[in-house]
Amino acid sequence: MTDHAPSSHSRPAVLLASSLWLPQGHAWRRFPLVGLVLAAVGLGASLAGGLASPAMRSQLWHSWLVGALFALSIGLGGLFFVLVHHSTQSGWGVVVRRIGENAMATLPWMALLFVPLIFGLGDLFPWSHADAVAKDPLLLHKQPYLNVTFFLIRTLVYFAIWTFLALRLGSLSRLQDKTGDHDLTRRMRRMSAPGLILFALSVTFFSFDWVMSLDPHWYSTIFGVYFFAGSVMAFFAFMTLIALGQKELQPRVVNEEHLHDVTKLMFAFLVFWAYMAFSQFMLIWYANLPEETGFFAQRLAGSWRSASIALSLGHFVVPFFFLLPRTIKRSPKASAIAALWLLVMHAIDMYWLVMPSLHVGSITLSWLDVAALVGCAGVFLAAFGASLGRQALVPLRDPRLPESMTFENQ
Amino acid sequence: MGLLRPSLPPGDRFGALAEFADPAELYHACEAVRDAGYTKWDAHTPFPIHGLDRAMGLKTSKLPWVVLIMALGGALAGIGLQGWVSTTAYPLVISGKPFFSWPAFVPITFELSILGGALGAVFGMFAMNQLPTLYHPLFGKASFERASDDGFFLSIESWDPKFDPDRTVEMLRQLGAKEVELVSS
Amino acid sequence: MIGATDSTKVLSPAEPVGRRWARTRVHFVTPTMATSAGMSGTQNESGAIGARSGQTAGSSAGLADLDVTDPVDHRAPLILGAPTFHAITEVVARPLERKPTRGWWICFLTSVAMVGVLGVSIGWLFWEGIGVWGLNNPVGWAFDITNFVFWVGIGHAGTLISAILFLFRQKWRTSINRSAEAMTLFAVMCALIFPGIHIGRPWVAYWMFPIPNQMGMWPQFRSPLMWDVFAVSIYGSVSALFWFVGLVPDLATIRDRSTGIRRKIFGALALGWRGSMRHWQHYEKAYLILAGLATPLVLSVHSIVSMDFATSQLPGWHTTIFPPYFVAGAIFSGFAMVVTLMVITRKAFGLEEIITMKHFDYMAKIMLLTGMMVGYAYSLEFFIAWFSGSAYELFTFKNRAFGPYAWAYWTMVSCNVLSPQLFWFKKVRSSLVWLFVLSIFVNIGMWFERFVIIVTSLHRDFLPSSWFYFRPTLFDVSTMIGSFGLFFMMFCLFVRFLPVVATAEVKTVLPQAAAHPPQAPVIQFDEQGGRGATGAADGRLGLAPGGAV
Repeated sequence: MTDHAPSSHSRPAVLLASSLWLPQGHAWRRFPLVGLVLAAVGLGASLAGGLASPAMRSQLWHSWLVGALFALSIGLGGLFFVLVHHSTQSGWGVVVRRIGENAMATLPWMALLFVPLIFGLGDLFPWSHADAVAKDPLLLHKQPYLNVTFFLIRTLVYFAIWTFLALRLGSLSRLQDKTGDHDLTRRMRRMSAPGLILFALSVTFFSFDWVMSLDPHWYSTIFGVYFFAGSVMAFFAFMTLIALGQKELQPRVVNEEHLHDVTKLMFAFLVFWAYMAFSQFMLIWYANLPEETGFFAQRLAGSWRSASIALSLGHFVVPFFFLLPRTIKRSPKASAIAALWLLVMHAIDMYWLVMPSLHVGSITLSWLDVAALVGCAGVFLAAFGASLGRQALVPLRDPRLPESMTFENQ
Repeated sequence: MGLLRPSLPPGDRFGALAEFADPAELYHACEAVRDAGYTKWDAHTPFPIHGLDRAMGLKTSKLPWVVLIMALGGALAGIGLQGWVSTTAYPLVISGKPFFSWPAFVPITFELSILGGALGAVFGMFAMNQLPTLYHPLFGKASFERASDDGFFLSIESWDPKFDPDRTVEMLRQLGAKEVELVSS
Repeated sequence: MIGATDSTKVLSPAEPVGRRWARTRVHFVTPTMATSAGMSGTQNESGAIGARSGQTAGSSAGLADLDVTDPVDHRAPLILGAPTFHAITEVVARPLERKPTRGWWICFLTSVAMVGVLGVSIGWLFWEGIGVWGLNNPVGWAFDITNFVFWVGIGHAGTLISAILFLFRQKWRTSINRSAEAMTLFAVMCALIFPGIHIGRPWVAYWMFPIPNQMGMWPQFRSPLMWDVFAVSIYGSVSALFWFVGLVPDLATIRDRSTGIRRKIFGALALGWRGSMRHWQHYEKAYLILAGLATPLVLSVHSIVSMDFATSQLPGWHTTIFPPYFVAGAIFSGFAMVVTLMVITRKAFGLEEIITMKHFDYMAKIMLLTGMMVGYAYSLEFFIAWFSGSAYELFTFKNRAFGPYAWAYWTMVSCNVLSPQLFWFKKVRSSLVWLFVLSIFVNIGMWFERFVIIVTSLHRDFLPSSWFYFRPTLFDVSTMIGSFGLFFMMFCLFVRFLPVVATAEVKTVLPQAAAHPPQAPVIQFDEQGGRGATGAADGRLGLAPGGAV
């Protein structure tokens, strides 16, 4: 609070642009390497273990899907942040925007995580079996939408949209580092508004396809928003961690005012997630229609019940009260703990969405769950780290960078 | 410090009132008065000036605690009322739902906690500010009317241990006040 | 920073101040110039700061050290011209101290007449029973609950502007928050009429409150209609508190400008506010907390209203997207109403410099966004109606779009989804006529949305023998019109007796309000880090030059 607000008569401090890059030899420069190792070990072990016996195959794909959703959702959250940043002409967020840009730069690589899952469609999705569809009038009804060809085409479209937006916005932002052209800010803004529409639709249908249709009888109109809320929360948790590192590196650029804003957003989306989760649960519980209750009946039976309770406490109640005081949101240590905790909770949330369709009745943990999650997170880390080293940590010539560096919360 | 009566210095002198030209001058004057060790003094501005609380060395407001307690009280009242009514006072079987249907009790519990928090925030703030206080010596000064328009004032009360009619006025003048005057109670 | 070249003349009281200060020419002074001249934050006699002639808009990156302007063209100053603090007070307080204009009397008396219509309609309803409305057996809710949901929704923009935009530090809200909050209160009043009268027996309305009574009877808390009672009445109460807290400093301003009985009344209402910084400190905290509480409150209120429908098992009502979808719709309709009212108020009170085209531009964008959110919900409902494979769901939605109420459905879609698409165009966003017309369209569309949800879902029951076509009677329509009369009458009284703009808050966004402008570090492009500047080597994976400072 004190060191960045010199009196108005003193000369402005001078920062060298080179100090705004990730220093050579900084620990984060090893992200790509560490990520690749984790990915190779985690995913390699998963594939080896999962494909070794037919009994494990289904477990493999379900665990893989949990990991892939976890990693992808953080990238999607990053894309969302950047889109909103540009379309609202945000000033405060410039110094942390690169975190979003680096996270969204992982999206093309995330597509790779979904490629092996094509071989697991049969194990994941009941609607992919012709005989099952033929016996089930509901699946027959949904067949024009839920069939393998159309499903793959749609998935391709989703990733094409995300890749296009991420690469385009990323390259315009890097171009501005060189030229400082204000028109680039306007161009990014102009593409962000339609970008948000594409984003909303693609994320909604992605979550319908890859998560909701695991139980093809079940449906919920709010599901896309639920998935979105959790993803964005996870991204802000991730952003908190990276922003803390950036604050250490560049205290004159990123300070606790920015940390405070990021943790406030994490808090807001934590509450938003709870709002979506409760709306979905309460409406289905209250109306008690047999065609809808299956989803929650599964998750409130046996040991899944405790998982559901743990999720509502751990994903909402505990972090809500923990993050309520302003001092916590501004404290590096406390906000790091909260962010790590919420990332774990987000992984549990993904597990809770996917796994009950494999292990009906009770939770059955498998080492593949951990291996696949670590592997997918490794791919994310590698892609994130590569992007991190490739550009300065802040948009050097963004016209609103000075505003961002000096902003203060009320 | 009862309702409608502010806590005022004894005797017939309230203190000194200085007017400054703009927020920046007031800001620097406040820093100086704070550093001079005064404790019973205040700034009067038509709008909250960002950072002035720090320049005055004010402690952070305790209001959030009042709000938290009131909000939790509201939540407890909400869940208690609904639980008691639905299980004990007037149990009814409604669409096969349990008497204690917690999901159905969440909305009202939530609303009441918001109500509690909001009441705590507003009335807690008024209590901490000792408002309403319809009479105050400063209202006797015609120039002080501008404190709600475009005047930036600094007042030092006479019961401040450091207060001295001559030296305090002199200090305020040196800080660049446009005008300094003594105010009687 | 903003400087004015010829604003040295003292404002003459006869001249409308807003227009007066707009004539002064405004120049942008870069902070370097200001700093070097040593006059950062100093105020000259006219009240405009850093006045220097001959310097034109700077575009250097350092400009952002004051949040009044923006290097990228689209974030111009929030308040046009370079008014003094006093000029703001003048322009807001003046209308309250003059005799009301003819235009005001016309609006006020017309709306009073409409309130008369409301009184007669309700009186007749109580005398005769709800048979005077067009309700019938499957359609047990129609205009009454449509109006209720419509009015609750209208209120939401006020809270969005006062609370949510506050939390997002959207400083442009300061020009419109006061009137939008007032609108919230009046909309909630209008809304509360309908659940009160819709059973035709207002004398038992107290059964809905948990009051110990001689019957030993208690409310049934598992009913979403009970949640509504709490949600809407608490929403009204908290909005009133929020509004009053915001008003206190401005009431003090009016007090200090007036004499006699007026001074006594405003003095009592202002609670003895004396602008004390020790007070402001708690006050700002309270305001922030109220904003933090009002934000989840406003989301919950329309969510709970949506649960009146969504907890049921009726196709067309029961769907999980309802809570966020209703909230988006509420904000959408509320902003439309704010635009409608602001176009008129700004003109009538000469507030062109405070409520600028920029404010309308932002509001249009919010309408575009929320309009697309409701469009998203409409489409998802259709998709899931098909995807669910439930024959009843599918029938209801086909019936909505192609059945006897297709006209209402397509009115809703064209007003809510199609018409706001025009807001993509800057020309439309900067034309008051377009804004006004489209805001009316959105108001109509959002009223129809509730009508469509309620009536089309009800009118074709599970039993085809009970299908029915609802037709409003004269009293359905007159009650609705009467509620608009009440709303406008309250608004007329508000603009006449209370400051329509939050003057204390507007003053904080003026450049000269910053006592201590922070200064941004300057970035110097050295050989390595400024590679961008020389256009040298592309950063390749992991090979970027970082390095020591």
